Amino acid sequence: MMSPHRVSSEPHVLDQPWRLWSTVAVMSILLIGILLGVVVIPVVQGWGAGLDAYTAICRALGILPGSPAQPQPLDKTLATPVSQVVWTPLVLQILARADVAKGRVKVQEVCVACHGEAGVSPSPDFPHLAGQSGAAIYKQLYDYRTGSRTHPLMTDLAKSLDEPTIADVAAYYAGQAQRNLNPVTLANAPPSIVHLVELGDPRRNIPPCASCHRQGSGGPIETPVLAEQRDEYLIQQMKLYASSERRNDVYARMRLIASRLTEEEIIGLARYYRAGFK
Amino acid sequence: MRNVDRLCLAHFWVAFGAFLFACVIGLWQMWVRSPLGAKVGTPEQYFISVTAHGVSMAYVLTTFFIMGFGYFVAVTALNRKLPGRWWAWGAYWVALLGVVVTLIPIGLGKATVLFTFYPPLMASVWFYIGLVMVVAASWVWCVLMLVAMRTWKQENPARPVPLAMFATVANAVLWLWTTVGVAAELLFQVIPAALGFVQTIDVGLSRTLFSWTLHAIVYFWLLPAYIAFYTMVPRAAGGRLYSDTMGRLTFILFLIYSLPVGMHHLLMDPEHGNATKFVQVLLTAFVAVPTLLTIFTITASLEIAGRLRGGRGVLGWIAALPWERPMVLATGLAFVMLGFGGFGGIVNMGYGMNAMVHNTSWVTAHFHLIFGGSVVIMYFAIAYEIWPRLTGRDYKSLAPLRLQLWLWFVGIMVMTLPWHWLGLQGQWRRVSNFNYADPIIAAWGPWVVVSFGGGVILLVSAFLFTWNLATLHRSTVLAAVRPLFALAVHPPQRVPAALNGFGLWNVLVLVLMVLAYGFPIAQFLIEPSPSAIVHRVR
Repeated sequence: MMSPHRVSSEPHVLDQPWRLWSTVAVMSILLIGILLGVVVIPVVQGWGAGLDAYTAICRALGILPGSPAQPQPLDKTLATPVSQVVWTPLVLQILARADVAKGRVKVQEVCVACHGEAGVSPSPDFPHLAGQSGAAIYKQLYDYRTGSRTHPLMTDLAKSLDEPTIADVAAYYAGQAQRNLNPVTLANAPPSIVHLVELGDPRRNIPPCASCHRQGSGGPIETPVLAEQRDEYLIQQMKLYASSERRNDVYARMRLIASRLTEEEIIGLARYYRAGFK
Repeated sequence: MRNVDRLCLAHFWVAFGAFLFACVIGLWQMWVRSPLGAKVGTPEQYFISVTAHGVSMAYVLTTFFIMGFGYFVAVTALNRKLPGRWWAWGAYWVALLGVVVTLIPIGLGKATVLFTFYPPLMASVWFYIGLVMVVAASWVWCVLMLVAMRTWKQENPARPVPLAMFATVANAVLWLWTTVGVAAELLFQVIPAALGFVQTIDVGLSRTLFSWTLHAIVYFWLLPAYIAFYTMVPRAAGGRLYSDTMGRLTFILFLIYSLPVGMHHLLMDPEHGNATKFVQVLLTAFVAVPTLLTIFTITASLEIAGRLRGGRGVLGWIAALPWERPMVLATGLAFVMLGFGGFGGIVNMGYGMNAMVHNTSWVTAHFHLIFGGSVVIMYFAIAYEIWPRLTGRDYKSLAPLRLQLWLWFVGIMVMTLPWHWLGLQGQWRRVSNFNYADPIIAAWGPWVVVSFGGGVILLVSAFLFTWNLATLHRSTVLAAVRPLFALAVHPPQRVPAALNGFGLWNVLVLVLMVLAYGFPIAQFLIEPSPSAIVHRVR
């Protein structure tokens, strides 16, 4: 036991300067960095932007909004949202916990005449809802309720439903058989339409339809499923967007896109996505 | 063949199998993005492919290679049995199962989120669980490396740990620190969301946690190349290592400065203030120090070798080096790529210059050049060097090995230099195709085709690499036993504890991480920001 102890006492002396100076070196670099980044640079930048030192430092730390190098413009104009739907965690939980059985009862009571019990609509004027995204149905019903979207029948119907019921109905239709693109109509689609769906047309600033409307692609949560939808309904809605009669699309995405499409393209796209219920 | 040799080979073959697969699909991705394949494939197929490519290259190739190499070093450098061999085999099978569990949802199109996850994109939960299995298995490896070093130190008190093992343990310690960020992101944020327990995710927090991992993981991949530089290259060149201490300092500096710097990946992110970004960028600059130390030390070591072999004059020693040996050739080529890649990295690191190249092909080019080029070519050289020891057989000729290394070098240069250029033109990354009807994008077309040509050369090289290793298993030439690890010019007799272990450095890393990441992470808890809606890819 003695000899290792004696041997290790010498390295111990050897170690001390290492421990001290490496700590000093590493900490000095860090502290200089903090001094520069947190104090010196923001304060100097703040002079140019007319900010006091405290504000500049808080901005550099991200405690106050804005950059220490620029005055923060004050914007007092109020934006008017095109839709009142806000996807808060609460709303998403309501959707996730919706009651399909209750939804079915409500559907049989209210929706069945136009949209069918299984979500297959009997009339070209009304969309199929079977397999539609729950968030999409919720958003549209909510928009009817708040007046962001209007329809002679739907506005009053939606106003009679409370929020959990809307979620139940949405969940019921969303739970029907999933909809997929119909291979028959796909095979017949002209290449220019397929190109528009897959790649869009960057020269006209038209993004690909598939970038939002394909399952799992990157669109907003309320993006509806278009596969197996009635082409008459799709044409009607694209035209309403193009003329801005319908305007509950956030950031005017669909109004911009539809207004850039030709009549033939609208028809071609609607046929591409049209119903193919077996 | 010894059991531990089988253990190493099992790891290496999984790594290189994943590598070959990823090379094939990587070339397909380049093809569909080029004017040649503009009408091929759908975006969904592209993102399946790019996710599989990233996962295979970044998680499977690297983790399995590093684990296998670590076991090899622990046995050869310490000259003693591997502790916990059955643990090592268990970790191997868990990791392999993890790979399968990860790849299935990718193949089914249920995990098109790329290997860096990008919340609020949400893949099938199995994708993440598979990756957690791989990481957990790699933690077993870390513990085994630590145990191996500790027992050796107990048996050899006051003697310096061999540099190769010291560096391997540095990498294990680095990896334990590194994975804390991504583990926290997966366990507390992503997996609960993937399971449907929550519908929103704080993307600012998840990006911050991932940035903790994102830069250090690159050094985890890189360190085997540096271990080869310091411990194998001088011997392969017929010389000695210029300085053992410089090697120890390098690996320690990598441990310290690869961790509190990840926020330079978030320079364009709004959730952090300028001050925290500044501090981390300043620390990032210090990551260049160990690389510059290495360039100096290894060049000096090679000069020693060149002069021992009769090289004269200021540069005559370079010509005198044994360039016919794969390890020496690979080092020369790796240094050239490191030069270009390091320059690109300095551009990425600067706030203003990063703004110009952020989210462009420049970044893709940078990490393919540094990792795919400098690092992977050293993986090849390491494999070539140790395969005869593992199989007991030797190469009939080194010519196919040199051809493979040259092809890889040329392929990487031809692929990544045009990519850098396209990035400066504004070509964006993470997109599945380009509309070459657009006149601006049409002008990119020829360069995209050139870089695709580089990809073809790379695929040929990847097949040749696999062929070279696979045929060695049946070679009739028996391997002669040669020493592998280089001696230093002044072999260390006794080193301070600071250069023989990691206690002090772990404390410093902890302090640095608390100061660099403490407030940036705490702010999300003090004042939670609006969360993003989870977007489930299906």
